[in-house]
Amino acid sequence: MRMEAQPRFLSEKDGYHFQHQGAVELLVFNFLLILTILTIWLFKNHRFRFLHETGGAMVYGLIMGLIIRYATAPADIESGTVYDCGKLNFSPSTLLINITDQVYEYKYKREISQHNISPHQGSAILEKMTFDPEIFFNVLLPPIIFHAGYSLKKRHFFQNLGSILTYAFLGTAISCIVIGLIMYGFVKAMVYAGQLKNGDFHFTDCLFFGSLMSATDPVTVLAIFHELHVDPDLYTLLFGESVLNDAVAIVLTYSISIYSPKENPNTFDAAAFFQSVGNFLGIFAGSFAMGSAYAVVTALLTKFTKLCEFPMLETGLFFLLSWSAFLSAEAAGLTGIVAVLFCGVTQAHYTYNNLSLDSKIRTKQLFEFMNFLAENVIFCYMGLALFTFQNHIFNALFILGAFLAIFVARAFNIYPLSFLLNLGRKQKIPWNFQHMMMFSGLRGAIAFALAIRNTESQPKQMMFTTTLLLVFFTVWVFGGGTTPMLTWLQIRVGVDPDEELKEEPDSHQATSNVDKSRTKTESAWLFRIWYGFDHKYLKPILTHSGPPLTATLPEWCGPISRLLTSPQAYGEKLKEDDIECIVHQDELAMTYQEQATSPCSPPARLGLDQKASPQTPSKENIYEGDLGLGGYELKLEQTPGQAQLN
Amino acid sequence: MEPGDAARLGPGRVTRALPPRMWLLLLLVGWGLSAGALASSSGAAAADSSAMEELATEKEAEESHRQDSVSLLTFILLLTLTILTIWLFKHRRVRFLHETGLAMIYGLIVGVILRYGTPATSGHDKALSCTQEDRVFSTLLVNVSGKFFEYTLKGEISPGKLNSVEQNDMLRKVTFDPEVFFNILLPPIIFHAGYSLKKRHFFRNLGSILAYAFLGTAVSCFIIGNLMYGVVKLMKIVGQLSDKFYYTDCLFFGAIISATDPVTVLAIFNELHADVDLYALLFGESVLNDAVAIVLSSSIVAYQPAGLNTHAFDAAAFFKSVGIFLGIFSGSFTMGAVTGVVTALISKFTKLHCFPLLETALFFLMSWSTFLLAEACGFTGVVAVLFCGITQAHYTYNNLSVESRSRTKQLFEVLHFLAENFIFSYMGLALFTFQKHVFSPVFIIGAFVAIFLGRAAHIYPLSFFLNLGRRHKIGWNFQHMMMFSGLRGAMAFALAIRDTASYARQMMFTTTLLIVFFTVWIIGGGTTPMLSWLNIRVGVDPDQDPPPNNDSFQVLQGDGPESAGGNRTKQESAWLFRLWYSFDHNYLKPILTHSGPPLTTTLPAWCGLLARCLTSPQVYDNQEPLREEDSDFILTEGDLTLTYGDSTMTANGSSSSHVASLSLEGSRRTKSSSEEVLEHDLGMGDPKVSNRGTRLVFPLEDNA
Repeated sequence: MRMEAQPRFLSEKDGYHFQHQGAVELLVFNFLLILTILTIWLFKNHRFRFLHETGGAMVYGLIMGLIIRYATAPADIESGTVYDCGKLNFSPSTLLINITDQVYEYKYKREISQHNISPHQGSAILEKMTFDPEIFFNVLLPPIIFHAGYSLKKRHFFQNLGSILTYAFLGTAISCIVIGLIMYGFVKAMVYAGQLKNGDFHFTDCLFFGSLMSATDPVTVLAIFHELHVDPDLYTLLFGESVLNDAVAIVLTYSISIYSPKENPNTFDAAAFFQSVGNFLGIFAGSFAMGSAYAVVTALLTKFTKLCEFPMLETGLFFLLSWSAFLSAEAAGLTGIVAVLFCGVTQAHYTYNNLSLDSKIRTKQLFEFMNFLAENVIFCYMGLALFTFQNHIFNALFILGAFLAIFVARAFNIYPLSFLLNLGRKQKIPWNFQHMMMFSGLRGAIAFALAIRNTESQPKQMMFTTTLLLVFFTVWVFGGGTTPMLTWLQIRVGVDPDEELKEEPDSHQATSNVDKSRTKTESAWLFRIWYGFDHKYLKPILTHSGPPLTATLPEWCGPISRLLTSPQAYGEKLKEDDIECIVHQDELAMTYQEQATSPCSPPARLGLDQKASPQTPSKENIYEGDLGLGGYELKLEQTPGQAQLN
Repeated sequence: MEPGDAARLGPGRVTRALPPRMWLLLLLVGWGLSAGALASSSGAAAADSSAMEELATEKEAEESHRQDSVSLLTFILLLTLTILTIWLFKHRRVRFLHETGLAMIYGLIVGVILRYGTPATSGHDKALSCTQEDRVFSTLLVNVSGKFFEYTLKGEISPGKLNSVEQNDMLRKVTFDPEVFFNILLPPIIFHAGYSLKKRHFFRNLGSILAYAFLGTAVSCFIIGNLMYGVVKLMKIVGQLSDKFYYTDCLFFGAIISATDPVTVLAIFNELHADVDLYALLFGESVLNDAVAIVLSSSIVAYQPAGLNTHAFDAAAFFKSVGIFLGIFSGSFTMGAVTGVVTALISKFTKLHCFPLLETALFFLMSWSTFLLAEACGFTGVVAVLFCGITQAHYTYNNLSVESRSRTKQLFEVLHFLAENFIFSYMGLALFTFQKHVFSPVFIIGAFVAIFLGRAAHIYPLSFFLNLGRRHKIGWNFQHMMMFSGLRGAMAFALAIRDTASYARQMMFTTTLLIVFFTVWIIGGGTTPMLSWLNIRVGVDPDQDPPPNNDSFQVLQGDGPESAGGNRTKQESAWLFRLWYSFDHNYLKPILTHSGPPLTTTLPAWCGLLARCLTSPQVYDNQEPLREEDSDFILTEGDLTLTYGDSTMTANGSSSSHVASLSLEGSRRTKSSSEEVLEHDLGMGDPKVSNRGTRLVFPLEDNA
């Protein structure tokens, strides 16, 4: 009996120790985050703008990494015995091992290539401080990305949709190729210089680096923009680009990593190339469909049940369905993060309108909170990883090349595309905006997560180290330099997004309607169709707003349309709500005229009746005020207003 | 990866960093030598085959990730379904089935489908015997044909069950590591419970609640343990017992099953506005109960007699267990309270309330740190989190900005809701997917009888004793209701699933599961009829309640002859609490929050500097209203009027402060309404709260 109890106890002790270690590790992160929060509060309180909270989190992460690296004593090697049990010839997913009559189950974790093994002998705490990279993709990034999608400023976003899509898709592709080519040049140079063995670093690796480096994440810049109320168009362009950018970069990285020609793995192979392209399109479209499908389901559920009586249930449902979008996409072999992004966008566009007021605030706050925590954890981890990650490969030439490449690529992305876009755009993107966009090419969480995902081979490790340094540099230097840059480029600050809206439709509608819309017809044709479709069919089906379906659908589907239209849609004021989103797109004025049911466009906006006005604008306000860091802005905004009133 | 590398490094000693003193190992299983030689001799072929293998492993990892997603998705869809059905029920005011019960039903259905609808895959893993090794390592590096694979320890498998382990991949996927419950799902539930204890009523009944929670749980544990021991003896005679079952096992069962969790009943109480005292008693008992049960069960596990016979009574080991109980409990309590106090101080002395998001994040992180800190120090994280929640609600909550208050409430409410329903749907699932069930009818029937007897022996005698001391007697119908509300829930389940290695534990787990099902469905469903049958007041407004109650007491007892006698009988038991109240009011509240009398007046003169430093400027500004808010909590404790007379600040007794509290100013209204939010918000977020919540947030926009 004693004999039996003894080993059991031992293993329990082990288990306890294990958990204990996990707790300590998380505690360190908690502690760092608390410190970050307090420091950031201090900075905000004193209106220091040169260091964003993410930068602060990185600084603390660095310090902690330094302490852990050099202050903890590496334990000595106690047992390195080798045993041979020569029965295994493949690596199964679970391993059952019989040790003194106790059977233990071991689970497959990962493969380690040999040159990585000896550095693993560092101290135990370093080992514990290293997360499984999949955590970033499965736990930390989804809330960040969802929040980004959920808080896209709807009106300005759709107004600039064409430009944003161009920047995001074409721009990312250009940037990826340019970085890849430049890096390939540097790699060749390194081979000449003898710093690198020939054949270690292929062109696909360079392209891989290019694609992961293309994911911009100007969270620092955006936070400052938000605080200073920079021109909303610039804000939207940057934000929209960075959000979609991430999605494109993730899928692109995946497609490049699976590009495997049959013969020689590093020559061009048309079949494999087209397979990769097809893969890219397939995954992107699939994820998009998955994300929007879930959002549509959520919208329908919230519309047709009266769930708004119970805000908590509503919030729970919203959260769960958004999460299922992620999981379904992952289960189907698509990219969960991209699905979550489009789910967020669609949720904001449709479901948000169906939620009760309380749920709107709750969901916003919940995702804002999760975004805040996840983002700071990632940046904190980045700081930590510089010291605790044990397979760094610092290569000065490669790092230098990477710095050069990202600037050149950013320039190739922004300036030519802006030029092309300006040909079609009614509202040109001025030079100072272009410079600002060029300047805001910060790298952040996505680039890091993509780089850390695979650090097995030496090129990947070199890329990881370089990415880390690039993120540090861009976040600290560019992030810190945003405010001076804004004044130097003379970009308007202190613009109230709602003020602007009121004047512009009137002036623009009158003068530029006819000629401008014609130049834009070709490019905007698709969008116009989409807007019309959205406004006439999707909005009425999915939300309580919009014109009643009975009016927009043809006669023969009368019963369905009556079934799908919510009773509120017949009311007058809800139509106003909707107009706000699309009225700015002046082509739509034409669509509007065709509609039988909306006799009042812009002028009616000014004559809002008393019932509608206090509600809708304030809702919008929260929505838009809430982007960066908590609604404290809202409070500050109030004071001048109050002073005027009194 | 290159064959050349493999040859160069060879299958040598490979070491790997691991937790302290576990400098590992390296069990190089394998093939190392021969594969290395093979690889170097025939390079291209080896590379090719290794690439194939690599692809296969990668595929497998991807497949495993996909399956993980699917299993998680199953749960999430279950929760979604539950939410929708619950909405339907609430909408139609059907009260016989609570959402937790519903979650269990859906879990059961999915469990049946998974169990019988998916084909069983044959296990392809075979046990390796490496008898040379005498220790268990948490990480294993395996060298397979020149490549290294890392394996992590998942758990121990009892040899008897070896064959059934790999039965069904899907079933295995939906079985979570039991530690998930303790580390992820329970903390938010428990924290929320602590955070939403109705402060005023809770403190008014503190003595009774503590008596029920500590004494009651001990009594119940002991009685159930003894009864079950009798049942086990009986089973031995009948011959139904096929493995060992000791007295400590019985006591362990008594401890885990003593954790009551009347969430169903409380939700109905909340909805119907049942009597607040009954609510506070039940809720407070169930919350503290959980903490006691956790610590009790872990100290029973730690009971290890020194002698040869491991299961005989040993006084030293017994006292050691008691010592462990007290140590863990007080340690966790201190840990929770200290972090709560630190949070309160931080939120008081920084102006973090200008940035609600930062404030909320800080609050969340600090509360989470409590859990981690306690776990890291070897205490019980869940207990620490509970007391942290209570402290946060008592002090920090008052320092938060209005927006942060609603944010934190809502955040923990959502987390609580999701975690709770997740656990209950997992319970339903576990009935079919858990593969080591031991159904023993005699044991199950015995357990049912034991829990009712244990509950009865717990409630009635204790209520009798408490009624001797209580001014406000616990009525018979309340006692019956409390007896009736002995539901078992998440905590009992989590404790039972934590260790299912031995035969006895498996039997306990199965029984616990069935008890939870039975109590949640039958007793939970019968709450409304029971309430009307026992003539318990419903529709009591908790805010309306105290004033008349209080006035009548003041009038009847304050002047009458009863008051002196009543006070005296209660003097002994209440003395400690009274001391605590006055200490709390005079020192802790002013130090930790913006309310209460300024420290400069309560502290002695010689520490004036310190007092001035610690007192927040707000206290001087609005002394009058703030005292009101505070008196709210302690006013009803009749004895406190004495203490009040002592303190210099409250010269004008309780009756006048009452008048003041009724004539609240407009500016104070927000504060009191947020207090109401705190108190209303217990169960399921009723629509009333939503209106208040919006009012709280919207004043900002109204001015614009």
